[in-house]
Amino acid sequence: MLTKIAGGDIIDPVNGRLGKGDVWIRDDKIVAAPAAGAADRTIEADGCIVMAGAIDIHSHIGGGNVNTARLLLPEQHAAHQARPAATPLSNAGWSTFETGCLYAKMGFTTVVEPAMSPGAALHTHLELADIPIIDKATLAILGNDDFLLSMIRDTASSTMIEDYVAWTVASTRALGVKVINAGAAAAFKENVRTFSLDDMVPSYGVSSRKIVKTLQAAVEGLGVPHPLHVHCNNLGSPGSADTAAATIAAAEGLPLHLAHLQFYGYGTEGKRRFSSAAARLAELVNATPEVTIDIGQVMFGQTVTISSDVMRQFSARGSAHPKKAVIHDGDGNGGGIVPYSYGKDFYGTMQWAIGLELFLLIDDPWRVFFTTDHPNGAPFTAYPALFELLMSRKARNEMAAGLSQSALALSTLAAIDREYTFEEIAIMTRAAPAKLLGLTDRGHLGGGAIADIAVYRRDEDIAKMLGKAAYVFKDGDLVVQNGEITHYRWGKALRLNPSPDKAMVRRLEDYHQQRYGLSLDWFNFPDSAIAREQPFGEVPCRT
Amino acid sequence: MAVAWIGNRETLVEHAAAHAAALLWSSRCPVFSFDTDIHGTRAAIALAERVGAAYDHADGAALARETALFTDKGAMTVAPGETRRRADVVVIVGELPKIHHDFVGELADTTPDLSARNEREFFLVGSNGTPAPPLVNGRTATLLSCGQVSLGATLAALRAQYRGRQTSQSVSNFDDFAKALTAARFPVFLFSGHATEGLALEMLQGLIADLNRKSRASGLHLPASENGWGSVLASTWMTGFPLRTGFARGFPEFDPWRYDVARMIAAGEADLHLRISTTIVRPQKKRNRLALIALAKTKEPVAGAAVTIAIGEAGVEHEAVVYSSRTGSLRSVDAQAASELPSAATIIRLVANNVSAEAALPC
Ligand SMILES: [Zn+2]
Repeated sequence: MLTKIAGGDIIDPVNGRLGKGDVWIRDDKIVAAPAAGAADRTIEADGCIVMAGAIDIHSHIGGGNVNTARLLLPEQHAAHQARPAATPLSNAGWSTFETGCLYAKMGFTTVVEPAMSPGAALHTHLELADIPIIDKATLAILGNDDFLLSMIRDTASSTMIEDYVAWTVASTRALGVKVINAGAAAAFKENVRTFSLDDMVPSYGVSSRKIVKTLQAAVEGLGVPHPLHVHCNNLGSPGSADTAAATIAAAEGLPLHLAHLQFYGYGTEGKRRFSSAAARLAELVNATPEVTIDIGQVMFGQTVTISSDVMRQFSARGSAHPKKAVIHDGDGNGGGIVPYSYGKDFYGTMQWAIGLELFLLIDDPWRVFFTTDHPNGAPFTAYPALFELLMSRKARNEMAAGLSQSALALSTLAAIDREYTFEEIAIMTRAAPAKLLGLTDRGHLGGGAIADIAVYRRDEDIAKMLGKAAYVFKDGDLVVQNGEITHYRWGKALRLNPSPDKAMVRRLEDYHQQRYGLSLDWFNFPDSAIAREQPFGEVPCRT
Repeated sequence: MAVAWIGNRETLVEHAAAHAAALLWSSRCPVFSFDTDIHGTRAAIALAERVGAAYDHADGAALARETALFTDKGAMTVAPGETRRRADVVVIVGELPKIHHDFVGELADTTPDLSARNEREFFLVGSNGTPAPPLVNGRTATLLSCGQVSLGATLAALRAQYRGRQTSQSVSNFDDFAKALTAARFPVFLFSGHATEGLALEMLQGLIADLNRKSRASGLHLPASENGWGSVLASTWMTGFPLRTGFARGFPEFDPWRYDVARMIAAGEADLHLRISTTIVRPQKKRNRLALIALAKTKEPVAGAAVTIAIGEAGVEHEAVVYSSRTGSLRSVDAQAASELPSAATIIRLVANNVSAEAALPC
């Protein structure tokens, strides 16, 4: 089938297309305008902007910890009012089904779950497989697991470490690797309560820095397209900007991605000893081209924090609202679920301002990524409002007027004039994420790309415009019209598939037998366990 | 071999499924109870939505207690692998289901390799009559008991005594326990909702929280039913809610009292019961008006059932995904003795396909 999206304002930074034009789709791919022949279907996009489908690189949408958060908070996601039962589970609250639908309505077509515990890979992929419409991907967590820490302690060769990382990525069907407060979860099991970049994990004598550097090198050596995704130490603490600065410096010329930098943007000035260090961090990011970051923007209201940083979550459990939490010591990281409400008080305002400062002071939209660390800073449903804050100084000022002025006095936000353009939005949410993840088939509107396309009707109200897409195509299927789901389909989970080294597999089999009393069969699974046609899409490693 | 019956009359699976669908469609208050794998659960919940049913595990009471710990209070928990590798003190809390006895035996047969203390001590919290899982290597569990009082009261006394408070009843062997805790690096409490009142689980978590003020400790959740806990997980991601959720009003509502399926049946609220289980189920008292659709591992029609369809055992006769308390997560299991019998999920989808719906999303 040939579809023509006619007369929209095309915003496709990758291919240098900006301005009025047509986009053509044949079946599931974008194609050049055909020399002859009429479209089977024409979408009138006059008065609309046309971009590639958006890509979210960091959103906790599925897996053990996310599901535990649902279980912990049934009162937080009461189901919707009954609607005509046109679509299965369309009225569920916080569910896999709702996740896919809400993302699609905003024009997002690919979302990365950034914290998959390798031991819960099957569970995670089953949840992702129940998220309709969009494509998904996962990052596998390493860096608190005994096998890796032991190898580093025993000065294993870089080849052996790469073999282990390759096996983990392949067997868990991950698209990349994440390290979360490297070494801290292991240290917490030995009753350590705070942990910094140069602290040693007890019993291993390995520093957090050493773990990060080892994994960074392994990811680079294997040609994993996505740089090592780092959740730094000391998340949320006053003075954590020092930790973030030290981690940025530790990139040392090799690619490194720092997650939710807002949660480390904290200085120790002012009488509350809690201030914005965003300008300092933004300057460091600007000066360090090998580093990319995402924000983890805070928006106000009730949410729940979900993190595999079990040490941090344990120390945050006293601030739980409502008063309940789950803290889990897992095989590697484990995690913690702590519900939290961001108020418009001094602290909430400071966090909100720091996130925006980082967005606006980091110059290169190719290196700063649009996230709320869903649901940690805010649920992803806050995205439309956040787009508006980035694109409108007026909207920021209006919002700031109702917030803590003493907090704003310690931030540079009020002095920043910058407003994001649609082109910058297209880079930050489409082109750059595709590049960062190694997904050449999306993030742009060039011929040969998969037909993941979002069409938005222009509106003065940016939140309304970007919150409800006029049309969304996923792999050429028209899935959203006027902000409502009109067609259901199943996406894929994108994964790398490096071939595991046989000697490493044997070694891991022995390790699991000896240490856990279980064969590797207990953790492996065939694709058929997902019970869907083609649950996975393969992405090549760099060669 | 016969695999489907309408009443006592043998029929084709397709006919039986169509008849089941018609009964479900005309039912005023259908209820489902199941003891099945992840894909069976997923299919059952999708069907429940189509016909407005409430669903629960076949033996839902113990699971409801475990669920309530998480929905109401939260918990500190640890993975089974870490328990094996790190627990230098193991505390068995009350009577554990038989399915977990092998793991307790394994803990007795090993020492923690990730602990500076290369030893493992065992305690048992309960009344004098609480059966302990058999320990190997001549190990025994030291009993922590207040005689015949409830598990919750015993845990409360234990917690109070640990905090140095006056208690009306003292716990047997407390000094041994206190000494063990002082030396312990990572004590782990094994708990289940089986034979435990919900308050006991909360009291246990209070004790674990107290211990974590200065040192480390956690709890290992050993669910009353592995299939049941797997169903809790799948229900939670699909609907946002655990078991005892109902679609009576067209959207999922979680209500652990109202959608207690055993209660709904006993109170005469339900008029149709879809029971999905590959284990042999004890015959139930025939209740007026309550029609039964049975998906079961059976060679003959289930007594009193309006429809019976034979299904194979998950992970035995067909490949399956199940919850494993040994890994603390979901696990894929190959068919060990493959048979022609269909999976629960296959039959439930067949029934669902016969229920008219405008739904466009295949499950
Ligand atoms: Zn995150």
